[in-house]
Amino acid sequence: MAPMQRDLRLTRVGRRYGLRGPWVLRGVDLTVTPGTLTRVEGANGTGKSTLLRLLAGIDAPTEGRVTGRPRTAYVPERFPAALPFTASGYLTHLGTVHGLSRRTAARAAGEWLERFGASAYAGTPLAQLSKGSSQKVAVAQALLAEPELLVLDEAWTGLDTGARAELERAVAERTSAGGAVVFVDHDPRRLAGAPDATYTVADAALDRRTEKASSAVGPHTVVSVQGPPGGQLPADVTRAVTSAEEITPGGYRLTVPASRSDVVLRALLTARPPWHVVRVHPDDLTPDLGGRS
Amino acid sequence: MTALLRYHTALLLRSQRWLSPLILYAAFLAVGVQGGQPVLDSLGYSAAALLPVAAWLVRICVTGEPPAARAVVFAATGPARAHLAALLTALGAAAVLGAAATLVVTLISDPAATGHRAHVPPLQAGVAGLLAALACALLGTAVGALTNRPLLRSPGRAVPTMLLAALLSVVVSGSPAQAAVSGLVTGSRSGRVPVPLLPLAAAALLTAAAFALAAALAGRRSP
Repeated sequence: MAPMQRDLRLTRVGRRYGLRGPWVLRGVDLTVTPGTLTRVEGANGTGKSTLLRLLAGIDAPTEGRVTGRPRTAYVPERFPAALPFTASGYLTHLGTVHGLSRRTAARAAGEWLERFGASAYAGTPLAQLSKGSSQKVAVAQALLAEPELLVLDEAWTGLDTGARAELERAVAERTSAGGAVVFVDHDPRRLAGAPDATYTVADAALDRRTEKASSAVGPHTVVSVQGPPGGQLPADVTRAVTSAEEITPGGYRLTVPASRSDVVLRALLTARPPWHVVRVHPDDLTPDLGGRS
Repeated sequence: MTALLRYHTALLLRSQRWLSPLILYAAFLAVGVQGGQPVLDSLGYSAAALLPVAAWLVRICVTGEPPAARAVVFAATGPARAHLAALLTALGAAAVLGAAATLVVTLISDPAATGHRAHVPPLQAGVAGLLAALACALLGTAVGALTNRPLLRSPGRAVPTMLLAALLSVVVSGSPAQAAVSGLVTGSRSGRVPVPLLPLAAAALLTAAAFALAAALAGRRSP
């Protein structure tokens, strides 16, 4: 679970296809910092995918520089894998390509298929998987080696509700473990409130959205905790929560984006000394926790 | 790199797309090689026939993945390493094919020069044939690397260019493959077994350059 050592930096990066093709992106400066979640927005065909391919290292820039390449994993929007492997066979191969040993890769493949509710397809040839199940394999492939940089190009498309929520949780785990995550998704509520930075691609250029996306959007979980009198909330918790009110001495009411609730609870329970979790319940204002379409 | 090579080898073997070039090679050999013919002649023929087969194996290895699967591997290892692994897998498959053919041809052929004028030691002939086959496997994969993605991406242009380049590599004088093959054929007339180390070295250099170019372009010309 190695955190990213340094920033991935794009400096004056431009990309065009062909020698005289139009510039898809030009003059892009972007820094991806370890432990952050970055959202990229833009209309269809504006170059979001190209930007993600540059970040993932799949494409080299036509001009400009990319420095600080971390261990990277990428999830494409569609994964029609007409490959002659079974799901677990493919994931084991990809795990070793990502740098795991064969045994670790095979175990991680099983675990991630289980997390996404696809254990039943472990022995199924990829060519026979449905679109959604293929997408689960693509997501598992990216997560099983705990990458330092995770690039998600509409990775949620085609996943069922349970798997979508699981992927949001996995993203929160990656960032809390010190990895960076960059994603594109058409659903504006996807990981709402969680991104540390949001960029918009338009006219072949990249703009940072200055206003911090309101954390009040999207489903939240309310966690009531009791710490030692006068105890400070762990730093991981302070970073992840939307709001923290001290109700009694050492007693807090935390409002947490639903996707980060596991991360917050883990940080609280493993803190020294550990915090006591009094109550976990959905935020009254957004009763649709976990049941979003 | 080991993991990448294992992945591409598994992809090649399980896809069964290796079957067509294998059948083509077997057909080449069935037409041109018969038991009891002069060994060096037959080895020269089998080495020459390996060249287009090696180019075809490269095409299979670099087009074996759907674009999404290729992107996933490119992200994990970088485009250059991933593409190089595909090329090396094809080279390995061609070398194995060439070695097997050399062994069979050496065993079934007549250990003699053309017209039975002189005895040709089978072991020396086999070694010479193996070196020539390797030179052809190398040059064939170089042709494949330069006439498929990322350099030529549309099949309509890639396949005819590849076939033409493979043919020229066998017949044009100055090509290491042509030098290795004609060395064997000349040796068969004189009864002296050649050691085609120079063509092999030249083929290795050309192939290294071709692989380096293709690997360097892998991330620049996608998707």
